Amino acid sequence: MAIQKYEDMGNLELDIIREIGSIGNGNAATALSAILNTGVRMALPEVVIMEFNEALNYLGSPEDVVAAILVEMSGEIEGIMLFILTQEFAAEIIGKTIGTVEFDFLEMDGIKNSVLTEIGNIMISSYINALSSLTNVNVQLAVPQLAVSMLGGILSIPMATMGINSDRIMMITGKFEVDGKEFNGDMLLLPDVASLNVLMKKLGVD
Amino acid sequence: MVKQVSVGIADMKLTRQEGVLITYALGSCVGISFYDPMIRLGALLHIMLPEKTNVADANVFKFADSGIQETLRKFYAFGGMKGRIVCKIAGGAKMFEMKGPGGLGNIGERNIQMVKKVLMREGIRISGEDTGANYARTMQINVLNGQVTIKTVGKPERVL
Repeated sequence: MAIQKYEDMGNLELDIIREIGSIGNGNAATALSAILNTGVRMALPEVVIMEFNEALNYLGSPEDVVAAILVEMSGEIEGIMLFILTQEFAAEIIGKTIGTVEFDFLEMDGIKNSVLTEIGNIMISSYINALSSLTNVNVQLAVPQLAVSMLGGILSIPMATMGINSDRIMMITGKFEVDGKEFNGDMLLLPDVASLNVLMKKLGVD
Repeated sequence: MVKQVSVGIADMKLTRQEGVLITYALGSCVGISFYDPMIRLGALLHIMLPEKTNVADANVFKFADSGIQETLRKFYAFGGMKGRIVCKIAGGAKMFEMKGPGGLGNIGERNIQMVKKVLMREGIRISGEDTGANYARTMQINVLNGQVTIKTVGKPERVL
């Protein structure tokens, strides 16, 4: 049975997506760990299907200031990958890579912007490579883009993308632990509905 | 304490006499406020996309076209008069410099254009606007006096 909307996902389908998220998160964490040269762990992903306002409140408060690296996916899987970081998490990454102590991500210069964008890009690429080789789907990734703004504003982009045909969005989440410290960051895979059918078909679930 | 009513994404709220209507963190979305000073009637709409293409979509406030129409229908039903409406808009930012094939990058701009087109068609003039650029905005209207304020990160509050 084809999935027409996110709510059609049964337990089996949700488990499969969670497993894909788990492998993606593992690869992203390994990539970050190699860059920072420290232990990085990611919690098991949650697969959440929520109405827009509910999804926003699930991730935080709309006015929370965050940095986000966004990559558009196209090809057999369409949608968005978002890597969201709080000021604290961004400071940890910048501190461990270029060694800056004072850090305010509302006043980031070119180098810090590039470092964050590139790290986000590497993590997202690792995630998608794992997904793509596991399921044998072809995914193209667009050039990564960085924004530092309110969480609500950042999420308006995936919501507007999925919102044309749906009143809900699906997020496969992942929380981070770096060097034993927990960080409020999120690695979000936001696929559109059609892509879910592609994934299920490739994995032999009908 | 002033009564504060929060307007979600793809949502609209209307109130009379007093209270504050607030919608948080407009990114590519657009907030549209309507106010009739004579009877102190205020409405705040938060749209996400320009056009309703699927007639079966029940969520009218998600789209600029159906959202503005439905808001005005309610506004007039509550006694608001077209000739007295003070309308202000905010949002429609370009959050990411996206160059991908999806054309997502300019969703904010498309929202703004559609909002302006629909308002013009409805014969309503826009008397204040804070749109575009690349940052999110929180918009609120005080129904007591019709004052519309915009909050952004790292900038002073702006009264439209």
